[in-house]
Amino acid sequence: MRRRPFLLGCGCLAFVAAAGVRADEYDYQAPPRFSRPEPSSDEGGLWAYMDREEQRLKRSSFLIRDPALNKYVSDIACRLAGEHCPEMRVYLVRTPYFNASMAPNGMMQVWSGLLVRMQNEAQLSAVLGHEIGHYLQRHSVDRLRDAKSRSSFAQILGIALGVAGGGNLGMLAQAGILASGMAYGRDQEREADRIGIALMARSGYAPAEAGRVWGQLLEESEGAKAAGEDVSTTNILFASHPPQEERREVLATAAKRDWPGATRAGADEYRAALAPHRMGFLYDEVRRRRFGESLVLFDRLLKSSPRDGQVQYFKGEAYRLRGREGDTKLALDAYRAALELDNTPPEVHRSLGTVLRQTGEDAEATRAFKRYLDLKPDAEDAELIRSYLTGSQS
Amino acid sequence: MRLTPWLAAAALCALAGCAAQMVKVEPGQVTVKEALSLNTANAWNRFELGQMYLSVAPGAAEVWTQDGVTLDALAFFVGVAQGETLGRAIAGKKLPQFRSTMTPGEIVELYEQMVTQDGSAFALKRIAPGRFGDQPGFRFEHTITRKSDNVLLKGVGQGAVVKGKLYLVAFTAPSIYYYDRHLPQVEPLIASVRIRAP
Amino acid sequence: MIVGMRRALLSVLLLWVAAGVALAQSNLAPGFTKLPPNSTIALMPVDVELFEISAGGVVEPRADWTATASKNIMADLRVRKAKLGARATEITGEQDEAVEALNNLHGAVSRAIVVHHFGQLKLPTKDGKLDWTLGPDAAKLREKSGADYALFTWVRDSYASAERKAMMVVGALLGVGMGGGVQQAYASLVDLRTGQIVWFNRMVRGTGDLREAEPAAETLNALLTGFPL
Repeated sequence: MRRRPFLLGCGCLAFVAAAGVRADEYDYQAPPRFSRPEPSSDEGGLWAYMDREEQRLKRSSFLIRDPALNKYVSDIACRLAGEHCPEMRVYLVRTPYFNASMAPNGMMQVWSGLLVRMQNEAQLSAVLGHEIGHYLQRHSVDRLRDAKSRSSFAQILGIALGVAGGGNLGMLAQAGILASGMAYGRDQEREADRIGIALMARSGYAPAEAGRVWGQLLEESEGAKAAGEDVSTTNILFASHPPQEERREVLATAAKRDWPGATRAGADEYRAALAPHRMGFLYDEVRRRRFGESLVLFDRLLKSSPRDGQVQYFKGEAYRLRGREGDTKLALDAYRAALELDNTPPEVHRSLGTVLRQTGEDAEATRAFKRYLDLKPDAEDAELIRSYLTGSQS
Repeated sequence: MRLTPWLAAAALCALAGCAAQMVKVEPGQVTVKEALSLNTANAWNRFELGQMYLSVAPGAAEVWTQDGVTLDALAFFVGVAQGETLGRAIAGKKLPQFRSTMTPGEIVELYEQMVTQDGSAFALKRIAPGRFGDQPGFRFEHTITRKSDNVLLKGVGQGAVVKGKLYLVAFTAPSIYYYDRHLPQVEPLIASVRIRAP
Repeated sequence: MIVGMRRALLSVLLLWVAAGVALAQSNLAPGFTKLPPNSTIALMPVDVELFEISAGGVVEPRADWTATASKNIMADLRVRKAKLGARATEITGEQDEAVEALNNLHGAVSRAIVVHHFGQLKLPTKDGKLDWTLGPDAAKLREKSGADYALFTWVRDSYASAERKAMMVVGALLGVGMGGGVQQAYASLVDLRTGQIVWFNRMVRGTGDLREAEPAAETLNALLTGFPL
């Protein structure tokens, strides 16, 4: 990632006045390049804090270091940020929650829970563009000032902490959500949405995809609710970007507008870029044990790629791990369907065998286990599975 | 942030207002929770607070250590019955339940869920049939990347389901130095485990 | 809420550790009394973080204070280093993964020492001895620094904001105790040939100000009391 040159400026927020969303609300002019604020200013303090978080993030074992995926996401972010590209550094983090954030010092994070949910490049650029919008308009600095003066920092901290299922402070601190993604106000959200759309369109992406991102998340929430799961702890991005009807309408309206030249979705390119990592991301997804959401996600992915055996396999896993009344049959159906599709992982046979053992279909279970061993003779559990076949197991 | 593991480790006991202590486990024959008997050539330290929250074994029946709470941990799970969870869920989470018909692979999934509740990452390296003391059982090797401090732990577990109940002994320690240092003591210890008639 | 709980934990920790101070534990590993005459010491980058406690008890990281404290501590360490002459070096720059892993392990070992050696949860098998190590992998740090020993310092400190202080005064008048800040630190000297922690000191107290050079030096004085030179 290109290094941001440190320009010691006057330390004041001179740039804010020049920027802004103008009369044609999508005719967005980004502010001039940012310079590093004085360390003793509150913004300077925020930058310094984020710099330290960035140092920690660089050392984290949860950072995704694959150069190809990093370059792919960075290039998209860079195109969106235009002139401000050199100020940004993009980090990909392996954690199954939906989040992207951009800190005032230019550090951008994208979590794998988000990557696995994007259908195409356009959707990813909608989210990244939105975050870049917050960055360009210095929203988090405004929020910090506002928060401190109104003593609502604690509330925001509480929201941010309360979200990650038990308040894992360490994880959120690493996310940088405290400073970069604190609950934005409605105006800020609207502004970031518009800027995101403007940036997307300029890069040639179809703005209609932006609204779909949030729509998809809401569907997952509804799936969770229908399944009786607690929604409030599942989506970190929701905590800092409360999805409101109004925003959906803004985005829907934007979609209906005429955008000459902004027609690209980039589904194939996105799938190809994500392919080497996706199985790991889907594995993490089911391990979250938010099956209502996962199943909505998997169904959506299957709708756009009906022959995706990998997703179908994980659909079966979701049912198997949920283990409610009737789930055994649903799991078997899903695994069997996966067998007919493409790109199905060999683990499907192991899972089939495991479930068939439960239902007492021993002969078919044995066949499934044998198939697994044929396909993956050096699997980490090969010895165990072999013992099922010889009958010498516990 | 980084205060939390420090405080959790040090102050949890203070909060409980207890005269907390570690109790010495002398070498020789030892009984764990009146259900497991084993033989240890070395002395260990047993956490007296049975419910002390350790991210690698929340809700274990007993946890022993040689070097301390953030380093090595020998966790005993004793007589987990149908419908119970392996270990204890941390705030806001829910753990899946044990079924006595589970395969060893499914039991390791339970273990994985337990240790990843705090965001730590788990990777199974190997699972094979083995002995749990004098019973047929299973053995698995894994790594855990601890979320709170990024330390990479190596681990080994052995278990068996006997009369419908799960017995599991899991040892974890940092991959640098500590795991290899203690493993030669842990292996014979686990081999000596006998399940006493419940 | 988690931060409120953390504040409570901080206060309790202070009291609890203060109570444990009565039983003085050795700062030295068995068999180690002082640094051999011509040994070299590498100063690891200081791990320091300063927080502010708002009126409502919310603990908020203050990067500007942290930057200042870092400077003050390093300045003081450099003065000490100058006194040691050629014997002390500094580890700077980005660490490779192996050194980073050692760093993380050191953190875990230090926490174990704080809890089990200086704290209440003594390990009977240690028999009161300071007996912990990073293992032979410490040699990697030796290669990188060229030094025989490494000094690690870790500091966390929190300060009451003006509003908080005002509330504390009011609280005192009403007979309600409210925690101000707590300063906790440890310093650890590691023999890089074996990985053994040969000297360790930890400090928990309610005074000290790392944001100013002189009080920062005082903190380090306290922390490095008994440094085996």
